[in-house]
Amino acid sequence: MDRKEILSELKKVLAPYTESKEMLAGINEETDLIKDLKINSANLVDIIIDAEAQYNIEIDFDAAEKMYNVGNCIDVISEKINKTA
Amino acid sequence: MISAGNDIVALNVIDIQRTQSPAFYAKFITPTEFELYNPNEITLINFVWLLWSAKESAYKYLKRINSELIFAPIKIKVVSLDIVVSLKTENVNNYRGWILAEDMSLPFLSVTMPESILTVITQGDAKWNFLKIEASDYENQSKAVRSLLLNDLKIPNVSVEKHPTGYPILIKNGQELNIAVSFAHHGCYVSYSFQIPK
Repeated sequence: MDRKEILSELKKVLAPYTESKEMLAGINEETDLIKDLKINSANLVDIIIDAEAQYNIEIDFDAAEKMYNVGNCIDVISEKINKTA
Repeated sequence: MISAGNDIVALNVIDIQRTQSPAFYAKFITPTEFELYNPNEITLINFVWLLWSAKESAYKYLKRINSELIFAPIKIKVVSLDIVVSLKTENVNNYRGWILAEDMSLPFLSVTMPESILTVITQGDAKWNFLKIEASDYENQSKAVRSLLLNDLKIPNVSVEKHPTGYPILIKNGQELNIAVSFAHHGCYVSYSFQIPK
């Protein structure tokens, strides 16, 4: 799975947690989950759990703490997918 | 440097089933912290979200001091949690505890209510308030929490702006006031805390 495919799937993971649907459609690697997508921090753990299910990976908290923007999310997911492959 | 940190969790918008799963809460609660859970004093759902709100409050407090800080709730340790029996009201409980993070020890107060959990870092002389609002969209939350704070502060001609690192600041006559403010919102609840140096 390349970064573009991960990004496409990531939009589905983030969709239930943001009101900014227009911003979500145009996200890039610099997009901040809280500042730009206005995702409530209380949903960050939901996003990690949903990402684990979506990509069939396990995200430990050392990795999870890096997931504050889209690019970092893709880094973590990509690394975990490669480990399980 | 003075600081402020608070958080509010609206219990009607959290996933109750997911909250009770160890796979969920183990992402931010360590086994040592879980030893603080006493089912005679608090429900599991309230315990999980109380610890979340305590960690989030501490993060906001510390982020103002260290702008490079990244939210890593597992590294913000809740080391004590005690129910405050004397203030007990029906369906409302107050808890006091301590947090260790970034080489600092921070006291906090959490109030569990039927629909929400509010936590405030009580270092210094923190003042706080919360409000239930009609609409839960971001714009309305943001407007409501600013209005609540400014009404309570009663300082004329003050506006709320954002520091480049994200925390709120108060401006009067073009100058930043030396008042540390923290905002929180979740669902139909908004809250603030602030601290004025003595």
